[in-house]
Amino acid sequence: MTELQNQLQDVQQRFADAVEAANDGQALENVRVAYLGRSGEVTMLRRGIGKLAPPQRRDAGMIINDAVAAMELALRAAGERLEDRRFESDLAISIDVSFPAIAQPGGSIHPVRRIIEQSCAYFVRHGFAVVIGPEAEPDYYNFDALNIPADHPAREGFDSFWLTDKVLLRPHTSPMQIRTMQRYAPPIAIVAPGKCFRRDAVDARHLSQFHQVEGLLVAEGIHFGHLKGMLTGLCRELFGEAQRVRFRPSYFPFTEPSAEVDTTCPKCKGTPAATQCNMCGGSGWIELGGSGMVHPNVLREVGYDPERYSGWAFGFGAERLGLARYGVDDIRRFVKSEPDFLAQLGT
Amino acid sequence: MRVPISWLREFVSLPSDSAAVADRLAMLGFPVAEITERPKITGVVTGRIASLAKHPNADRLQVAQVDVGDGTPLTIATAATNVAAGQTIAVATIGARLPELTIAPRTMRGVASAGMMISAEELALPGEWFEDGIMQLESEVAPGLDAVAVFGLDTAVLDVEVTTNRPDAMSVIGLARELAASYGAPLRLPSFDNPGRAAEPPGKEVTVALESPDCRRFVSQRIDGLRVGPAPAWMRIRLALSGQRPINNVVDVSNYVMLETGQPLHFYDAAKIAGDTLIVRDARAGERIETLDGVKRTLNSQALVIADAEQPLCLAGLMGGASGEVGTATTAIVLEAANFDGPRIRRMSSELALRTEASSRHEKSLALTLTDAGAARAATLLAGFGATVHAPRAYGMQARDAAQITLKTAEVDRLLGMQIPTERIEGHLSSLGCAVARDGATLLVTPPPWRRDLSIAADLVEEVARIEGYDQIPAVVPSVAPHEISSAEYERENQLSNVLQGLGYREIITQSLRNEGTVEVRNPLSEEQRFLRESLLPGALEYFAEAGSPVRIFEVGETFADEDPVAERSILAFGFSADPIEEPNWRDSEFLRLKGDCEHLLRRVTGRIPGVARATRAGLHPGKTAVLSFDGREVGYLGKIDPRLAKRNDLRRNAYLCIVDIRALPSYETPTYSPPSRYPSTYRDLALIVGIDLAAGAIEEAVSTELRGICTNVRVFDEYRGPQTGEGRKSLAVRVTLQRFDATITDEEADAAIARLLEAMRAQFGAEIRT
Repeated sequence: MTELQNQLQDVQQRFADAVEAANDGQALENVRVAYLGRSGEVTMLRRGIGKLAPPQRRDAGMIINDAVAAMELALRAAGERLEDRRFESDLAISIDVSFPAIAQPGGSIHPVRRIIEQSCAYFVRHGFAVVIGPEAEPDYYNFDALNIPADHPAREGFDSFWLTDKVLLRPHTSPMQIRTMQRYAPPIAIVAPGKCFRRDAVDARHLSQFHQVEGLLVAEGIHFGHLKGMLTGLCRELFGEAQRVRFRPSYFPFTEPSAEVDTTCPKCKGTPAATQCNMCGGSGWIELGGSGMVHPNVLREVGYDPERYSGWAFGFGAERLGLARYGVDDIRRFVKSEPDFLAQLGT
Repeated sequence: MRVPISWLREFVSLPSDSAAVADRLAMLGFPVAEITERPKITGVVTGRIASLAKHPNADRLQVAQVDVGDGTPLTIATAATNVAAGQTIAVATIGARLPELTIAPRTMRGVASAGMMISAEELALPGEWFEDGIMQLESEVAPGLDAVAVFGLDTAVLDVEVTTNRPDAMSVIGLARELAASYGAPLRLPSFDNPGRAAEPPGKEVTVALESPDCRRFVSQRIDGLRVGPAPAWMRIRLALSGQRPINNVVDVSNYVMLETGQPLHFYDAAKIAGDTLIVRDARAGERIETLDGVKRTLNSQALVIADAEQPLCLAGLMGGASGEVGTATTAIVLEAANFDGPRIRRMSSELALRTEASSRHEKSLALTLTDAGAARAATLLAGFGATVHAPRAYGMQARDAAQITLKTAEVDRLLGMQIPTERIEGHLSSLGCAVARDGATLLVTPPPWRRDLSIAADLVEEVARIEGYDQIPAVVPSVAPHEISSAEYERENQLSNVLQGLGYREIITQSLRNEGTVEVRNPLSEEQRFLRESLLPGALEYFAEAGSPVRIFEVGETFADEDPVAERSILAFGFSADPIEEPNWRDSEFLRLKGDCEHLLRRVTGRIPGVARATRAGLHPGKTAVLSFDGREVGYLGKIDPRLAKRNDLRRNAYLCIVDIRALPSYETPTYSPPSRYPSTYRDLALIVGIDLAAGAIEEAVSTELRGICTNVRVFDEYRGPQTGEGRKSLAVRVTLQRFDATITDEEADAAIARLLEAMRAQFGAEIRT
């Protein structure tokens, strides 16, 4: 019995030294196998129990069991110590977080579409639908139905690209007013974004191909105040809460009363420093586009009763808005879509 | 239109701040493009040269005694050569500030000079438009006046934009009327009574024959006894400030009256009229006229002319001819104040590529009454210069009162969303010249003759709003009633864009007008933009070529094909350029990447995976192109850009593009869920050696069919070609996942299934097993 105890003591002593010496998980596992494994020293001692007299066997078993339990405990504790040490050394490491990121290919929406999207989202929140339509349109939708008969001086303002005697590239998105009203009965609440074309010489402020966002609200009881309300809200959506919006009388054959819509120049904010502002040319305002109450002749053309229904429409240039919104120096950049331009403004 | 504020002030009192006046005009619908402030000039007074003597010590100098109205003449030495005793001139006195200098006392060759007689240029007027030397004023001007104030040299000039519906406002009086109405200030108009009373003396009558209905009215007036010379300073200065070069007192009157009243005039030298009739008629084909700008023009019958017995003297509404021109020898004129059909003048102007101050007014169809007013003003001014004016003769249509418009006052509220008391509505309309009669809540409104743009109630509502101020209308957010209109098309476009953005593509917008296509623009801006694009591919190629590095891009846009009517399609194009990578020539990973993005995109917007099959398409590599389809219907295609096309477009990299016909895409199909098996799966990897043309897709399909019920996934995950596979053969690595839904699949079962599968592959495709 004492012999077994002595042997065990010796084993445990060497075991403790080995555990102490093990400095990683594998070494610790090797220690476990060497002592507690299938042919480990303690296992061998246990096998020796069979040679003892039966009355001693029980005690011997208990002694070994206790020793094994203690050794397993020691192994676990040593394992945890090793793990703690590993964490410590891992956590002691720091990296240079300022190192350039590993970038995913940068996708983006064109700034013009982004403006269109945000504008449309604003109107959709207020119950409008968004419709799109063709770019090549008969003159009927572009002019005649919009109260601009042939020979009307206003046709000059729409210097257009003609494809045939009757078909042209739309110089504005207003044909969608007619298409929508002819298809649906009032109430009508739509925005219609899209590409338009005018035979304008291209320079830093003008494009021959540009995008407009058209809006139309026709129902009973719709008035000019509603137009002011919605467009003021739109400008605040795009430029911030402090944005002011100004409506100036103007002339469009398809609206009466008509208004030109300006908003405070986002660059100079219309402050006295505005005189030097190259964005608004010193006026403190930038032009958004035209608007007004739908002309009774237009309502009549689509079979609506102008005595009963009233409505407003507007159309503004998305690139023009983009100039102001993103501080772009030259409107042609929107069409060039150069990689650097998209990388800076693409969102 | 350039309008000096000082000229406006002749008719209406205005605030001193020019920006405030400009702002008011803008808020009335006449935006001011530019405010040209005048330089600050002080100390310049009118003076009269009492005497002039030779300078005692200098041959080139003279010494003048100049009366500046305070009793003590100023002694002024001058080198100017156009001075004489008795002249009225402008004098910069000691301490005066001119744009370029300040006047101080100085001694000129021993003579103390107390000021300087000045030129137009020194008053910041265009010197080349005025006489050399000292600016001459007329003798009616009293000495001692502040010249800057008298001639309005201290107030800004506004460049006012006038919309096409308001030719009445293309005049100083027209704009003054608007300002008067807006400020509630009285409008002081000149008299429009024609001073010409007596008929022309016998033999001097010139009559007018209107042979074209496009001349609606013609007022003619004979004026004799003219002495052509410089116009008075006030008139020359006003013209110059308005951007009009002074010519002589007769020509200047026609320009002055046009700017003041808006009625263009033309003067014919009476001595140069052949015969005694001015004929307004269509030009004869091939007829020639040399216009005042020195251009010899050949006309066709589209042109409207005013001719004498021999030749055209004037292009109606545009410009006079050299043959009837008023010159220094002119002593008598026939005045024309005519009204022409606007569209006719516009067509003529654009056909002859001749746009003038006159045509820009006539083309908007002026009011008939303006002819009489214009003639009266011109006659008055010329009579003021000592001419003899005879009674005007009028031809053509008589002005009639405009039709009465009924305006229910409730209509103002209905359209504006603002209640304005009836008295105010009445007041606003009256201030603009309307005759207003009240009948309860209804106003009967007769617009003034010059407002041809007012014809319906809504027009009057706008007038009321303009005078009330658009800024006074309260802004209200409407509540929009429910409606049936769908946003589906827009949403799909947006969704495509957003998914591609997520996949790392950047959206571009390129030119729709290009140098190739089948739909031609009749009036292109340039040859480079003669056609509508038939495809988005050329724009993408151009972009790839211009980008300095590999790029991933997409565009959503319309393409056009020559059908009747023009066929327009909404197309999505996306793709990338990439540097070549090391891989065997029978493999193209970039194509597969594009295919992956394509499947992901279409899955997102349709809920389904498209069919992909080999095909050829123009512009794409014939061996690396596939069409995309749903239910056998093609929706687009993808592939590598044909290397020959790439070279022609200076592409330095490989490029891949996918084209999708947006409207051909099926609508979104909601996926249904099928729960996975609860039992474990096992897999077997097979290496099948097959013919080189056998598609991986065909193997996958055949495996699925063969093992239906116990196979949950088949995937070809590698391809190898080489000596081991033999000529014309390739090895495909296939992972087959085996799984049952009712029990755990056993190894024996799996092995048996694979054995069966291999047998089938051998039979079906001649496949060998590679070990």
